[in-house]
Amino acid sequence: MDFLNALVALSNFVLVPAIAYGSQLALGALGVTLIYGILRFSNFAHGDTMAFGAMIAVLVTWGLQAAGVSFGPLPTALLALPFAILGCIVLVLITDRLVYRFYREQKAKPVILVIVSMGVMFIMNGLVRFIIGPDDQRFSDGARFIVSARDFKAMTGLREGLAIKTSQGITVIVAVVAVALLFWFLNKTRTGKSMRAYSDNEDLALLSGINPERVVMITWIIVAALATTAGVLYGLDKSFKPFVYFQLLLPIFASAIVGGLGNPIGAIAGGFIIAFSEVTITYAWKKVLTYVAPESLEPSGLVQFLSTDYKFAVSFVILLIVLLFKPTGLFKGKAV
Amino acid sequence: MTETVKNTLLFVVVGSLILLTGFTQSWNTAILILNMGLISAIMSIGVNLQWGFAGLFNVGVMGFVALGGLAVVLVSTPPTPGAWSAGGFGVILALLLGAATVVAAVMVAQRMPKGRVQTFTIIGILIVGFFVYRAIFDPNIAAIEAIDPAVAGNIGGLNLPVLIAWPAGGLLAAGAAWLIGKTALGLRSDYLAIATLGIAEIIIAIMKNEDWLARGVKNVYGIPRPAPVVGYEVELQQDPSFIARAEWFGLDPVTASTLSVKLGYSLLFVIVLLALLWMAQMALKSPWGRMMRAIRDNEVAAEAMGKDVTRRHLQIFVLGSAICGIAGAMMTTLDGQLTPGTYNPLRFTFLVWVMVIVGGSGNNFGAVLGAFLIWFLWVQVEPIGLWLMNLITAGMPDGSALKSHLIDSAAHMRLFTMGLILLIVLRFSPRGLIPEK
Amino acid sequence: MSDNPYQDDKGNKDASITNTHGVGTMTPAHRKSGETHRVEGGPFLIGDTMTGGYGKGPDILHDCTIAVDKGEIAVIVGPNGAGKSTAMKAVFGMLDVRQGSVRLDGEDITNLSPQDRVQRGMGFVPQTSNIFTSMTVEENLEMGAFIRRDDFSDTMEQVYDLFPILRDKRNQAAGELSGGQRQQVAVGRALMTQPKVLMLDEPTAGVSPIVMDELFDRIIEVSRTGLPILMVEQNARQALEIADKGYVLVQGRNAYTGTGKELLADPEVRKSFLGG
Repeated sequence: MDFLNALVALSNFVLVPAIAYGSQLALGALGVTLIYGILRFSNFAHGDTMAFGAMIAVLVTWGLQAAGVSFGPLPTALLALPFAILGCIVLVLITDRLVYRFYREQKAKPVILVIVSMGVMFIMNGLVRFIIGPDDQRFSDGARFIVSARDFKAMTGLREGLAIKTSQGITVIVAVVAVALLFWFLNKTRTGKSMRAYSDNEDLALLSGINPERVVMITWIIVAALATTAGVLYGLDKSFKPFVYFQLLLPIFASAIVGGLGNPIGAIAGGFIIAFSEVTITYAWKKVLTYVAPESLEPSGLVQFLSTDYKFAVSFVILLIVLLFKPTGLFKGKAV
Repeated sequence: MTETVKNTLLFVVVGSLILLTGFTQSWNTAILILNMGLISAIMSIGVNLQWGFAGLFNVGVMGFVALGGLAVVLVSTPPTPGAWSAGGFGVILALLLGAATVVAAVMVAQRMPKGRVQTFTIIGILIVGFFVYRAIFDPNIAAIEAIDPAVAGNIGGLNLPVLIAWPAGGLLAAGAAWLIGKTALGLRSDYLAIATLGIAEIIIAIMKNEDWLARGVKNVYGIPRPAPVVGYEVELQQDPSFIARAEWFGLDPVTASTLSVKLGYSLLFVIVLLALLWMAQMALKSPWGRMMRAIRDNEVAAEAMGKDVTRRHLQIFVLGSAICGIAGAMMTTLDGQLTPGTYNPLRFTFLVWVMVIVGGSGNNFGAVLGAFLIWFLWVQVEPIGLWLMNLITAGMPDGSALKSHLIDSAAHMRLFTMGLILLIVLRFSPRGLIPEK
Repeated sequence: MSDNPYQDDKGNKDASITNTHGVGTMTPAHRKSGETHRVEGGPFLIGDTMTGGYGKGPDILHDCTIAVDKGEIAVIVGPNGAGKSTAMKAVFGMLDVRQGSVRLDGEDITNLSPQDRVQRGMGFVPQTSNIFTSMTVEENLEMGAFIRRDDFSDTMEQVYDLFPILRDKRNQAAGELSGGQRQQVAVGRALMTQPKVLMLDEPTAGVSPIVMDELFDRIIEVSRTGLPILMVEQNARQALEIADKGYVLVQGRNAYTGTGKELLADPEVRKSFLGG
């Protein structure tokens, strides 16, 4: 029984949150990795792209709520998601047309594009703050839990409860669908293959008649969709705050690099590795250990390795360890 | 128009902008812009050394600046009574043990034959070391943090003159830069950008959470000033000779005292800036500087000629970060307080990058010019934005939601404008206002 | 430092922010295609008295002429640095041809971009980086047929018939194949467009002599289908043996021109380029 209780506590406080957070990071890292593979630079504006997409979702959700539209037990934000994706696509395509395209024509070096993306980051950041302000915004509605801790206790008779938030369930389902769609697209469709070809060998792609501008456009569209989805899911799960999205840049980059930059499978694996390490290392294990450890060894402290404020440090240390042993990331990077 | 004339003119323009602020707004604002402009210029020189002269991409400027601020607290504030005996030495012991654990693990990684035994030894050392460290560390910091938590609760400083804290800030930043550079530049490929991005966040996290060190988010106030160059307003206002001089300028004693204090800082900052600028210029004209540029322009050839590229990169990375640390220490001295919660990468990392790129990467004077110009705009965009919004919304009915939203949002024009300036300069003048020669 | 400020990366090689894998290095003479016009007569493909160089650089080719006709194999040989590959790149539109012209199938295509030359039926196999290493053999062939909107399964079967080993390895990543097999993938990829002329830049570079012989056999086989082949070769003797036409270039100029047999028999050519 104690063992079951420990397991439930572990799931409740570590596994479920980490899976949800990992899915959000994975979606974010996929966007970074696609840009890195195809446009060949790390996009510092990615966090703010997520924030922009999520912001549109927040605004549309408010509009729908005001109009009395709801999605039953599911959050209204899911209905707003397609609009948000569209809005974000429009923004990134305009940005590409006005900003990035010029540098492609100039055959600019990737590091110049990185600096350019800093400028875009400032602009998007300012834009989001200008439109919705820098404060916390809540926009989740519908049922809060799929399984609540109390119901779970009543159902199983265990001392520990397992709560699964609706947002967590939705995160995982949406992430799985998005990733499945992406992989099908990249591996099975002619356009998807042409993107991989362009990433692998630009010159040869050109000689094969692949239009680089089209590849780039489709990449931006996919990236905008992924970023918005990640942003909305993160916002539903936690809350929407522009600066938090900017700060997600570090764990997202860490995920993409740990997995091997440019490799989509790596981005997903990296997202979960970073999420699980962050959650496990900053979790206070006392509760789980009191069930498992013999009474004499029962821990006196919280058994928390690091305070939650050091979650960035965790992603960073994991990153360093991986790079020390596998310089190209866990999955060989640099090929979409 | 020769290049010198053009560059001088550019400086004159930026100088006039600041003077104009003095005449139209207030001299207080103008000198504030000047002082932070001077500090920004020093940060720019640091980043310019790394990016402009060595192509090193440091996106962790914020961390090094913050370390400089930390150094000010650790060097110049008075020690908290009883903190050392309560737990100070214990903390030092714990930190030394922690460092010893890491060193031991690294040595095992280097010396022992690779294999499962090695892996387990490393993991074992790290786990045992971690728990020993926590066992000593936790009670000691609890003891320190228990001392008068409302005003202290930290270890305090060495009570040395604050000017000593400036080079100390440089040293602290240099130490952190050496550690991170040694790790990130030593990897098979260069991962400096992500490493600096990460270390900056970690430094800020430590400064926010380790209350025993510098009170965390409870902030440290009342950092001593670099007297006698910079005095205290209250004292000046009671000094008869000062009042007499103020009258001669036609100022009331209160205004005169605040201006005098700020100008005192300006004087010190100008000295530091000129010294660092001179050193940076001399370094770049020296054989060392020529070699750095040779490495930048053709690393393969430089390596073939037997230059240790990684070592040189580490050198310049540490130097540039140290300069950022000095600037950070100066900034905390100017503020008179350390507030870890206000360190934001947009302001302290990416804005410095905008300064360097706009001014002209690879040219020290360009970096300085960019710093003054961008800092001026950073301060002035907000009132300009507000004015603009008032103009736009003038025709709207009072109390309309859009009007109040637009006026409230004017403050956020700042980031937007900085991005726009960066993109415009990158596009139309990619080498910056004062390009590298 | 580069002249173009946008290409000045200050020697930065930071792998966490920039990706240099697969970056385009082609420098087409025309990014956008100019006009073409009909010119009657002449060989099927000819680079006629071409003079030119890269970008604003000095002339590398001087009145250089290279041609190939239907059913022929034309081979360009010469010492290192003679401009062999440059001549072929000029024909393919990667070099600024300042005098002379390039004509394909009775049309002056001097002002076309390389991509449009592919559309007009030129198949080009670069010397290096000529396959998509991370993609499977079959995907490489599919990408070769990217410009085709019709059903290309027949062409793929023909390529598999020509290079049976590729059929066995169709689902393997091309980057995992041996050097000779990679070259087969590269040629196969170019054949997928059903080109009117095939251009090969040192197809046997870096492969063993046995593999080289096999590759030459395949090239002859391709040529028997009537497809004209223009080829740059380092291994002059073997290449001239299968060549209908040979061009010996020296310092960007035509030094000797003739049939493969003539050149092999020419004592001057033998002495200077074939080692006696």
